[in-house]
Amino acid sequence: MSLLAKRRADKRALVVGLTLFVFAALVWRDAAAQTLSATYGIGPAAMPYVVAGALAALGLGHIVVAFRDGLPVPEHADGIAIGWIAFGLVALLLCIAFGAGFILATTILFAVTSRAFGRRALLVDATIGFGLGVAIHLLFSKLLTLSLPAGPLEHLF
Amino acid sequence: MDSFVSLGQGFLVALEPSKLLFAAVGVLLGTAVGVLPGIGPALTVALLLPVTFKLDPTGSLIMFAGIYYGGMYGGSTTAILINAPGESASVATAIEGNKMAKAGRGGPALATSAIGSFVAGTIATIGLAFLAPWLVELAVNFGPWDYFALMVLAFVTVSATFGDSPLRGLTSLTIGLMLGLVGIDKLTGQARMAFGVPEFFDGIEVTTLAVGLFAVGEALYVASRFKSNPEEIVPIKGSLWMTREDWRRSWKPWLRGAAFGFPIGALPAGGAEVPTFLSYVTEKKLSKHPEEFGHGAIEGVAGPEAANNASAAGTLVPLLTLGLPTSATAAIMLAGFQQYGLNPGPLLFTENPALVWGLVASLFIANAMLLVLNLPLVGLWVRLLAIPQPWLYAGILVFAAMGTVAAKPSVVEVGMLFVFGFLGLLMRRWDYPVAPMVVGLILGPMAEAQLRRAMQMTLGDPMVFLENPGSATLLSLSAMALLAPFVMKGLSRFRAAED
Amino acid sequence: MSHLTKTIRGVAFAAMTLVASSAFAQQELKIIAPAGPGGGWDSAARSIQQVLTQTGLAKSVQVVNVTGAGGTVGLAQFVNQAKGDPSQLMVNGITMVGAILTNKSPVTLDQVTPIARLTGDPLVIVVPANSPIKSVKELADAVKADPAKVTWAGGSAGGADHILAALFAKAAGSDPSKVNYIAFSGGGEALAAMLGGRVTAGISGYGEFESQIKAGKLRALAISSGKRLANADVPTLKEQGLDVEVVNWRAIVAGPDITAEQKKSLTETVEKVVKSKEWAEILKQRGWEDFYLAGEPFSAFLKEEQVRVGDVLKSVGLVKS
Repeated sequence: MSLLAKRRADKRALVVGLTLFVFAALVWRDAAAQTLSATYGIGPAAMPYVVAGALAALGLGHIVVAFRDGLPVPEHADGIAIGWIAFGLVALLLCIAFGAGFILATTILFAVTSRAFGRRALLVDATIGFGLGVAIHLLFSKLLTLSLPAGPLEHLF
Repeated sequence: MDSFVSLGQGFLVALEPSKLLFAAVGVLLGTAVGVLPGIGPALTVALLLPVTFKLDPTGSLIMFAGIYYGGMYGGSTTAILINAPGESASVATAIEGNKMAKAGRGGPALATSAIGSFVAGTIATIGLAFLAPWLVELAVNFGPWDYFALMVLAFVTVSATFGDSPLRGLTSLTIGLMLGLVGIDKLTGQARMAFGVPEFFDGIEVTTLAVGLFAVGEALYVASRFKSNPEEIVPIKGSLWMTREDWRRSWKPWLRGAAFGFPIGALPAGGAEVPTFLSYVTEKKLSKHPEEFGHGAIEGVAGPEAANNASAAGTLVPLLTLGLPTSATAAIMLAGFQQYGLNPGPLLFTENPALVWGLVASLFIANAMLLVLNLPLVGLWVRLLAIPQPWLYAGILVFAAMGTVAAKPSVVEVGMLFVFGFLGLLMRRWDYPVAPMVVGLILGPMAEAQLRRAMQMTLGDPMVFLENPGSATLLSLSAMALLAPFVMKGLSRFRAAED
Repeated sequence: MSHLTKTIRGVAFAAMTLVASSAFAQQELKIIAPAGPGGGWDSAARSIQQVLTQTGLAKSVQVVNVTGAGGTVGLAQFVNQAKGDPSQLMVNGITMVGAILTNKSPVTLDQVTPIARLTGDPLVIVVPANSPIKSVKELADAVKADPAKVTWAGGSAGGADHILAALFAKAAGSDPSKVNYIAFSGGGEALAAMLGGRVTAGISGYGEFESQIKAGKLRALAISSGKRLANADVPTLKEQGLDVEVVNWRAIVAGPDITAEQKKSLTETVEKVVKSKEWAEILKQRGWEDFYLAGEPFSAFLKEEQVRVGDVLKSVGLVKS
């Protein structure tokens, strides 16, 4: 008891615990909002209730852990590197959302990921990414007759 | 005896030069598309259908079967090399396979998966040739209650992938189950957890979650510690090929993998995932080196890979004998049969024996061709890991994006890849296992649908699970697997107390 | 002399068709298949693509798969992007009519321009070979006596199979909301349940059960179309006194707000496709039944079908009124 009081709660475990409670509430609310039930057997809301219950129980487990051992302490992370890749992925998302095409998206993603891993030659990397994008685009559109998201660059090929 | 004669005649058909050519084209295409994440064998066969309908039926069906087998081989390559399982059947392979690749054992990992696929594929094809009629009788008698019991067994055994903390493992699994709820409920057609987003109506794609958590998450994690704690990837350490020790540790998992994969693959709703998980867990339990699991144990690659190839052959049992397509690829192959006016089913064996036995024989040939094709490629694939890490991971991300976009070109899908990638990063940093989440997403919806079908058929009588010998056996096995560790612990404590 | 005029006429006609088709040949068409590659809609789209290019009716045709939610994801995108664009077409069918209702889709088929109905595959009602039920009447009696005890296996909830089961129950004098319909993913699993004798009756496209019926493992009780199939001796439901007709039809539509001329020219192109020998060949290969209907009658059919499917889904409780 005195041990519990002395040690500060592990913040990360608390965050996970609370997130799990939020998930449980979301699933529960969605299940409660189901308008149809099965005429025979088990309805579509049963499984969500079970999952919501399990999530809540695990959330409770995390709260307990937060006041005991806590989660393992992660090592230092390089936020800038993560930021670069996140930027690349967001660029991919935007390229597809606004019709800039797959080739441009891969060019950016390739270049910034290389940057995240400490390379400085953005132009060289962008060129490689562009080449990769063109190759993939040709493979899909010409050989597989499948369409990847197309933008101005894709229409050149 | 008849089967032997028929199979011999089948080989005469399959060994014609033109048929060999079709088989070769098929396995090449299959391997190529298997390597591309997001493009599975089903898609390839679908795209080739209109092209092939002028060709000779036997030839093009042989080619389709080659693509199917080839895709199963190819899928493991990306799982091992870049931790991006191209289809859900390769998820279990990725767990140990990628760890091996990073430790310089990519060569043996790819080799054991190629040889294991060959061994299991051959055994399963023999099973297809000689046991199909009996097996299929058993398979159609598998009711929803039996499937549910099988899923329960798979769930119970999943705990082997939990790592050190049951709490964190269960959390990962339960979030997977939660993700499995997303989408239209199969039995009533109404949307759950979709929040009005139409892209969520079909549920969360297993490959998107797996590629997000495994490949993107991994890239982010490695980048996050690249400066302070750079990871060293050794393309080749020790032998490129399997050592005597590797062989010794691989052959039993191959056989056991085949034993899981073929019968479960032959079940109409068995699928390829369940046998891979069961095989993984069994190998972990039986291994003399359980401590290596999670750090690259060769048994964990050999078993699941054998299982997924055997299940591919298993799928052909109901397809050929009943005309029952039990996987996406099988469904499209069925369409292929039908475009030639052939109806797979009980009559096909008597009406068109040359075609059926030619197809079965060509499966043996395709399998051998795949081995010949894949073993030399091992050296080449492993060299990929020698690419400087910035470019390697940049390429992995481009590949992951490509696979996701090719399967479903939507912003929502890419958004999910992004979210799952960051979730994967967080889980790695805070030491949560990622595999159980994927398992939850795969098994959860299957288990729920079968349970509810069982209840619907029996008008809500739960006794059906105990009354049927199949489900009762599977459930008691699950109970044993669940309780055994506690009983063992109790026993040893009891003994310790006695001393 | 008359021979010469004939020749001249012939040449002129050929030239005209050439001009007409080359006018189209300039055009690049895009066909949306609102489902993944390999399914019914996708193969319909790719078959049309094949005929259009083979016959030179269009220069290039691109098939784009937009998967999701029974085709409603594709529909939403199509209504958005094909507005006023005569170079885009979309394949759809009865399943989409149901999916729009069950998914509460904000876009509906009222927003697209109907072009033509292409194919219509009949459904078949089967029982396992060892079932005591021998006829539609006996099945109808069983449903009437206790709908809970009669389990139906079929495709996705709210799809054509489910609609047929509900209409059957209604025609048999039972309550459609009490139908014990078990939805399976894909024909294969439903077929396994039939062969294993787990369910009372099964519904699927005739082609999917054909081989089992011929092998005597399943007994076909009735076919759901208006007339019998040419190659199968299975009576229709109507012949057996149940006034029910459900056909798994597939159609092609164009985007909203295209001009009357554009609609006319698209309709003509599709008609040429349907009348071509290449199309006839494809129908034969795939085992599809021709169900061609264009123009006003098709628009009316589409309207009727929306109302009918809506009523059925309400009666089984899948859609709340």
